[in-house]
Amino acid sequence: MTTNAHKDFLLSLKNLKLRSRAAFPKLSKAVKEISISQGIQAAYNDLLRAEVIFGLRKPSLAVYDQAFHFIGGAQKYGLTLISALQDQFDITIIANKDVRPRDFFDWYNLDLSRCKIKIIKLPYFEERKAFHLDPAFISNEVKNPFHLISQESGSYDIFVNNSMNEMVYPLSNISVLICHFPERRPKSYFYADHYTYVIYNSRYTAEWIEKKWKFSPHQLIYPPVDMEAGESEFPKKKNILSVARFEPEGTKRQEEMIETFMKLNQEWPEIVTGWKFILAGGSNPGNRYLSKLEEIIAKNRDQNIELKINIPITELKSLYRESTIFWHLCGLRHDDPAEIEHFGMTTVEAMQNKMVPIVFDGGGLREIVDHGLNGFRVQSKAELLECSIKLLRDEKLIQKLSQSAQEKAQTYSRRKFEARVKAFFDEILKRITSFE
Amino acid sequence: MEELAKEIRRLKEELDRKKEEIHDLKKLVNKEIDREFPSNVEEFSEKELETYIREILSSLHIHIESKPDIRTITSHRKTLGKPIVFLKRAFLETTFNCIDSFLDKQTRFNRQIAVLCQAILLRVQHNIERMKKVEEKVSHYEENMAILKNQLDELRSSQEQLKSCPTDHPPK
Repeated sequence: MTTNAHKDFLLSLKNLKLRSRAAFPKLSKAVKEISISQGIQAAYNDLLRAEVIFGLRKPSLAVYDQAFHFIGGAQKYGLTLISALQDQFDITIIANKDVRPRDFFDWYNLDLSRCKIKIIKLPYFEERKAFHLDPAFISNEVKNPFHLISQESGSYDIFVNNSMNEMVYPLSNISVLICHFPERRPKSYFYADHYTYVIYNSRYTAEWIEKKWKFSPHQLIYPPVDMEAGESEFPKKKNILSVARFEPEGTKRQEEMIETFMKLNQEWPEIVTGWKFILAGGSNPGNRYLSKLEEIIAKNRDQNIELKINIPITELKSLYRESTIFWHLCGLRHDDPAEIEHFGMTTVEAMQNKMVPIVFDGGGLREIVDHGLNGFRVQSKAELLECSIKLLRDEKLIQKLSQSAQEKAQTYSRRKFEARVKAFFDEILKRITSFE
Repeated sequence: MEELAKEIRRLKEELDRKKEEIHDLKKLVNKEIDREFPSNVEEFSEKELETYIREILSSLHIHIESKPDIRTITSHRKTLGKPIVFLKRAFLETTFNCIDSFLDKQTRFNRQIAVLCQAILLRVQHNIERMKKVEEKVSHYEENMAILKNQLDELRSSQEQLKSCPTDHPPK
């Protein structure tokens, strides 16, 4: 019954393609049959598909993210994807809180004025006045608040879920889940395996999708990183730089890096003469972890350590251009895979600016930094010291590694990201515009 | 083609109206969408285990009492409800009195199990703290060693340089 109804429908479509008006009642009958056997949504999807096959309209694509209303790396990923597809699709951005195209331009320098924005407020989170719509709070004892998004997904040809939220059941013909990391294990309202395609941002993420969700994702598309310094060479200063959010739980390990720099200063001051350690990153007000770091630095004023909190992008860019070595220890002493860098955007940004990265040996950073070729990967503070000393004592090594780092970083440029996205969605387009 | 577009639009509008009336996703797709997933604790990370243990412990405390709470017995019937509830409660109360000694034993056992789990968890937490301190100490030694090793390398290379340099003193 199921396949017959679909076959009839496709046959009717083909007949219609031959402009046979006699096929209209057959089409209507097929739609009714599909409605009965597979549900109204399946029939609706077939009609949407018919419109696209006959070129009656541009294919529609909706991109949802429950966190579009604030700045984030995952959101930049989704919005850059939208910007690459604006010409091919009629795009709707679905958010849960008020946000304007102007915000996207200010936050990510992306012009998305050709896209529609649809705000769907979720009563469950509105009643609780929640700014962050965290699916982790939803158990099967409450009604799934994200079903409103699931229902909306059925109005488009392609639905893309860019959020860390596997509680949205996709109803569209083609659905794509962009998995930035599988944070939760399958529990109540788990629908990640219902998507037609799952895109992942690193092999590390893919490994954990297989371990936690028990299926293999489909397509690797590395995040776009566009912090290139440009053609001109900039004089480098004796700066060691760290760029990471000051997470209140200290997961980015800034304290450990400060300790390491202080150790170098105390035990071997000659080797760090003239070197400065700069820690840049964003923070919310009232961050206790940041206060602790400020206190440590204030007590050790002579150590040449500087904090740069919530600095504008222009200042960050010049820090990248001027600095020589990049430290990143996120993941150190963590056994929870979610707390290890899933990809490592800031490391790539540093490499694009000819900095030599010394990073934690784990997560997505293993794919970015090749130990000894374009930087170093370390598993402890002692190894961080060891590799830093190696660099501080050998200027030629710095030059060699920084050159290779810049070359490797090109793999993750925005241009390459857009090319990969276009190729992937071209395949999808072929699929939805054919009778097969 | 225009007629086709119209026909498709008409069918879509028809389905749209029906879709609006249906709020249950299951009905929309004509199948069950929710499933049960087992908890594979052996795959859990330390953090996941901690959350899981905390959840299980709190539910253990809730279920210590073996006797069901008879206050939960209610009825929606207007007139007949009260006597039915009275009879049900009375029946259960008498039955419980007969098996009270068994239930008391079970409750005691449940309480002890809950306390035991709590104690084991505390012990694990103490050990984790201890291990963290040891790790920190080891880390300090490793860091010092890394510096000393490199300083030694530097001294050796300086010594080599000195050896290769001609000296001003004539050999004795």
